Amino acid sequence: MTFDYMAIWNNRDILIDGVLTTLLVSTIAIPIGICIGIAICMMRISENRLLRWSAIGYIEVIRNIPFLILIFLVFYALPFYGMRISGLATGFICLSIYGGAYFAEIFRGGIQSVATGQFDASKALGLKYSFYMRRVIFPQLYQYIIPPGTNIALTMIKESSLLSMITVAELTYAAHDVNGRTFTPIETFTTIALLYWLISTLFLKLTHILQVKFGIEDAQDGLAIR
Amino acid sequence: MDLQFLEIIPQMGPMLWGALNTIYVGLLACGVGLIIGTGLLFLRNSRFRLLRILVGIYGSFIRGTPALVQILVLYFVLAPLTGLNIGPFTAGILAIGFNSGAYVAEILRGGLSRIPPGQWEAARALGLPDYKIWFKIILPQVFYSVIPILVGEFTMVIKLTPLLSTITLVELTRSSQMLYNETFRPVEVLILAAVIYFIICFSISQYGEHLQRRSVKYRL
Repeated sequence: MTFDYMAIWNNRDILIDGVLTTLLVSTIAIPIGICIGIAICMMRISENRLLRWSAIGYIEVIRNIPFLILIFLVFYALPFYGMRISGLATGFICLSIYGGAYFAEIFRGGIQSVATGQFDASKALGLKYSFYMRRVIFPQLYQYIIPPGTNIALTMIKESSLLSMITVAELTYAAHDVNGRTFTPIETFTTIALLYWLISTLFLKLTHILQVKFGIEDAQDGLAIR
Repeated sequence: MDLQFLEIIPQMGPMLWGALNTIYVGLLACGVGLIIGTGLLFLRNSRFRLLRILVGIYGSFIRGTPALVQILVLYFVLAPLTGLNIGPFTAGILAIGFNSGAYVAEILRGGLSRIPPGQWEAARALGLPDYKIWFKIILPQVFYSVIPILVGEFTMVIKLTPLLSTITLVELTRSSQMLYNETFRPVEVLILAAVIYFIICFSISQYGEHLQRRSVKYRL
């Protein structure tokens, strides 16, 4: 069996574009996902029953349906309601919605890990809810949210591969493209697997620096869980 | 545009069949994952450094690449390279099993680290051979303590099965795609598919949480 890695090299532009699109989708969707996560978390822990239950509904629905079904649903449903948006925009929306539900749970877990005395003390000092959440509770969250947050961000980078099914030209789509031109499935798919591996490893190295900066020990161990 | 579920619901037969297939594939993949996870646990604790390094690389690969790419690699790369003529069903179960196995190994490792060292010492003091210590003393306790987490892993496996529709395995996602290609009603069909997935995954994860609560209550 012969391998034709020249076929990959000749089509490197497509694959490089794919890598860049994957990175673009992730770097935009992860911050939006974190914002959605904070908002949903605030709703989830609020006293208002309507807000709380709608947040629970959002989190449970997103966490219990496969990402592929969510993508297809948004991709097919929006045009029916007159919103014609590109696959890439659909990808941003879906990935952010998906990440938001998981980030919300992480933030909630973090807030629950903060000692209750902190809340009582803030209230006793007469601080406003928005103030003590921002200035007292939130700065204490880093050690609880960075390790699991890294996991979710990595999952989002990986889930972006599913966007190839709605014609977003990211890395997996580029692989199908190159494979269609050159009929070299073995070379193409091993190459993109290695590229994804490289992206994740670099991402984990970057977040490891972040964890060291915040003084979170035993950081790599937290990465084992989904 | 209004949704017309009444038109779709009578034609849902193939989707329900697909849902059963999803659960079937999920169970088989979970079985493969358990076997691989247990195997990886042994290799990780082996005396040979090379084996431990290989387990680390395997875990890093599974964690670092998307499940979709793993499925494509197994179906389009490993099968031709090894000359095995495996169909989408076997390839899909193996791919998801390999994926799940790496995570199961981590779950089991977490369970293993909670076994008090006294268990090992007592077993050695009784003069039990190594394989008996593992299979009769340690592993039963490890598995028992991680059952709730393994149930959660099963929902993860169920959520991976839609990816198998890309290698033409007819499960819930594929059968919904076939249904909306016939009826031109993708939104209704996909909402129904999402409801079925939600029912499957939500009931399993609630069961897992129930087990978790119970095990916390009875833990010594």
